[in-house]
Amino acid sequence: MIAEEKNTTDDREVTTRIYEIGYHVAASVKEEDVEKVVSLIRETIEKSGGSFIAEGAPSLMKLAYPMTVREGEKKIEHDRAYFGWLKFEAATESTEALENSLKLNPSIVRSIVFKTVREDTRAKMKAPQLREVKRTDTIKSTPKRAVAEEAGKAPISEEKLDKALEELTTE
Amino acid sequence: MTNNILTQNDIQHVDYKDVDLLKQFINPHGRVLGRKRTGLTAKQQRAVEAAVKRARFMGLLPYIQK
Repeated sequence: MIAEEKNTTDDREVTTRIYEIGYHVAASVKEEDVEKVVSLIRETIEKSGGSFIAEGAPSLMKLAYPMTVREGEKKIEHDRAYFGWLKFEAATESTEALENSLKLNPSIVRSIVFKTVREDTRAKMKAPQLREVKRTDTIKSTPKRAVAEEAGKAPISEEKLDKALEELTTE
Repeated sequence: MTNNILTQNDIQHVDYKDVDLLKQFINPHGRVLGRKRTGLTAKQQRAVEAAVKRARFMGLLPYIQK
């Protein structure tokens, strides 16, 4: 159910689709410069005649596993990155160029481009319904514990101890 | 009656960014649960699988968890 629109401009047919890109900007990039990297991505999309639908601002997050990126001969490991996303409509031919430009950008650790739908895809979870569960491991009376604590503090006679033990064993 | 998380919450699309939702479909090792465990329809299971794989690639979910 991927939306496809055909616009006939001049003699050529342009097929547009809805795409989403997700990206990780390296944590080494200063917070104020992250926006510059994002605007670069936006520019590339705009250049190919794309129009934006939705956007998620980049925010610093811990990665589930360290990502290694080769920079020349060195290998750089990233364990945190600014994750952001963009949803847009663009011509089918333009995405390959966009993907390549994302890969070539040294400040982008990783990116993904895929087809999606125009509607908001984020899940809106209902509040979890609380079920009443019959518990069997609950302690019914608390004063017994208080008695036991008291007994622990003060020295007790053997009689009392026997009584307490009897109480416990009879239950 | 289908009784799975997606149908219960009326979720039509599974987004790879919804990590908390996806975590309900993976086991403590990070592997995707089977259809017997998830109770999803074949179509929903495929959508969940694709979303989990995207989330893994983007470092939102682990490939393996010790």
